[in-house]
Amino acid sequence: MPTAGSGGGGGRAGGCLIVGQANAGKTLFLINFADHMGVKDLDLDVTWPDGSRERFRYPVARARELLVDDRPHTTRGLQAVELQLPRGKGCKAFRLCDTGGLTDGVHGAADVRAAQAQALRALRHAELVLHVMDAAAAGSRDAAGAIGEVDRQVAAFASLRCPYAVLANKMDLPRAQAGLMKIAREFPSRRVIPVSALDGRGFREVKAFVWDHL
Amino acid sequence: MDKAWRPKGPNAPDSIEEVIGWLETGKVSPAEAFRLFADVEQARSPGAAAPPAGAAATGRAGAPTAQELRRVLEEIHGLIGLDRIKELIQELQAFVEVQRRRQAAGLTAEPVVLHMVFRGNPGTGKTTVARSLGRLFKEMGVLEKGHLVEVERADLVGEYIGHTAQKTREQIRRALGGILFVDEAYSLARGGEKDFGKEAIDVLVKAMEDHRANLVVILAGYRDEMEWFLRQNPGLRSRFPIHLDFPDYAVEELVRIAEHMATRRDYRLTDEARLELARLLRRPEAAGAAGCGNARLVRNIVERAIRRQAVRLVRENRHRREDLMRITAADLEGALAQAGVPGEAGTPPGFRSDSGFDLLRQVTAFMATEMGNNRRAAGNGLPA
Ligand SMILES: Nc1nc2c(ncn2[C@@H]2O[C@H](COP(=O)(O)OP(=O)(O)OP(=O)(O)O)[C@@H](O)[C@H]2O)c(=O)[nH]1
Ligand SMILES: [Mg+2]
Repeated sequence: MPTAGSGGGGGRAGGCLIVGQANAGKTLFLINFADHMGVKDLDLDVTWPDGSRERFRYPVARARELLVDDRPHTTRGLQAVELQLPRGKGCKAFRLCDTGGLTDGVHGAADVRAAQAQALRALRHAELVLHVMDAAAAGSRDAAGAIGEVDRQVAAFASLRCPYAVLANKMDLPRAQAGLMKIAREFPSRRVIPVSALDGRGFREVKAFVWDHL
Repeated sequence: MDKAWRPKGPNAPDSIEEVIGWLETGKVSPAEAFRLFADVEQARSPGAAAPPAGAAATGRAGAPTAQELRRVLEEIHGLIGLDRIKELIQELQAFVEVQRRRQAAGLTAEPVVLHMVFRGNPGTGKTTVARSLGRLFKEMGVLEKGHLVEVERADLVGEYIGHTAQKTREQIRRALGGILFVDEAYSLARGGEKDFGKEAIDVLVKAMEDHRANLVVILAGYRDEMEWFLRQNPGLRSRFPIHLDFPDYAVEELVRIAEHMATRRDYRLTDEARLELARLLRRPEAAGAAGCGNARLVRNIVERAIRRQAVRLVRENRHRREDLMRITAADLEGALAQAGVPGEAGTPPGFRSDSGFDLLRQVTAFMATEMGNNRRAAGNGLPA
């Protein structure tokens, strides 16, 4: 039986977890999805790999500046926000948690690996998984690695445990349509939602997915 | 680089936490860590036989671990039908093991010659079994890598003198440490004595001698053709001591294969879908056009049904987990025609192009929902 608990800074169990390769757009999705739900100031609950926790409060624009970057492995811990999901007269509260980027190979930096370990621990206890992939990269001519072995493994692992969807991200970019097709072909039996963390397309469907499954 | 990404260094892990520790210290990558999770969980699942005491501990770095070996054996055992073949594989495994022990005990060991002939129709599991055998031999330490290189006549036979030897050697080089699987091998004898196919055979036979310890060659093809081929080349029979017959699948087995394929992708066939599938497979077109007992036909049908289901779900705007998993009889409608079997619902536009088309429809359907037009889209040109 898998042991519960979050030994070594796994962070709080449960909730909706965002995972994916480095630079797929996980953090931008977290922030802009919160923004889309009407959050003005982001209350981030960060758990570092060593188990320590910190809270930060940033206006969403500031959060984008600080937490999103086009260099890979910007995120080095679990960063979560509490969100209210309204629908009709009802409302569901849930926790949306961003993780460090995964890689096909072994990463040279210890703190990156620690964040990856944390992401894998969190994945074991997630109640719903949103797996972000960079559809623009997958659709580009030089697409090697954009859909990685690690993506296939995440899909196989997570989809057997909890509701699971692939977010084919960066749909605002030109090659993304081709990438989306590739992703849909690679994961024929998974739910694939085309989104753009940048301009917000697809968020409606993500909301519906979370509402239906959480 | 076709670097095998299964880690060679660490022993089989005992717990998920141990695997995560390896990830932290850089011993394994995230992708490998997931693979090892599966190992740990499989070892613990109630269905799995308890590992022999200390099995994990005995696996030296790079050496075959009992756990991996068990995994491959389970995988082979999980293949549907093929009972005789499973028996034979068990015999083979025992034989190799005993020869190894005899050698260790200073007794004379029989040479282990593992070249094989696979006889059967397309879609009866020949490649699948070959691939599993490669992994089995690797785990047993018989082959270094255990990968499978699939070739056919065109990959081996060249157009001018000398070209054939060069091409064949190149394929052999790729296959070293693994299995060279020659599909429709009988076609190498097609042109008679003067044909370059003959040269390919000669090069192959020589390579089997030269790389005795590190190459397994499997010749595959239709039963009668392979018989004819071996009669044409009497020298080959003794060099390929193991002959496996792949019988056609019965309809019940095919339905089980379909269920298995569906389950592996997190789908379930409803009872009606199972019945409908059996009914389709009993149709004369299914038997006639694709060769009866054909697992490939079933795969095409299942894949087609998965795409149809997606379109149906989008149209019906269903998102529940059970809905997402369920394949109904309706999803199988027209499946034979779409899987490339004429006779039902007209002539199909070929399976491959159809799959691209359906994917496009699927994506378009997603987009349509996305743009907030789901209600309109449902009644508006989306395929019924
Ligand atoms: N055009 C476009 N760019 C995006 C989108 N999503 C993310 N990006 C860009 O991609 C880069 C990586 O985004 P992040 O959100 O930091 O990626 P991440 O997955 O959190 O990456 P790590 O934390 O490093 O693993 C940034 O430059 C973003 O601006 C998108 O939908 N469209
Ligand atoms: Mg990030």
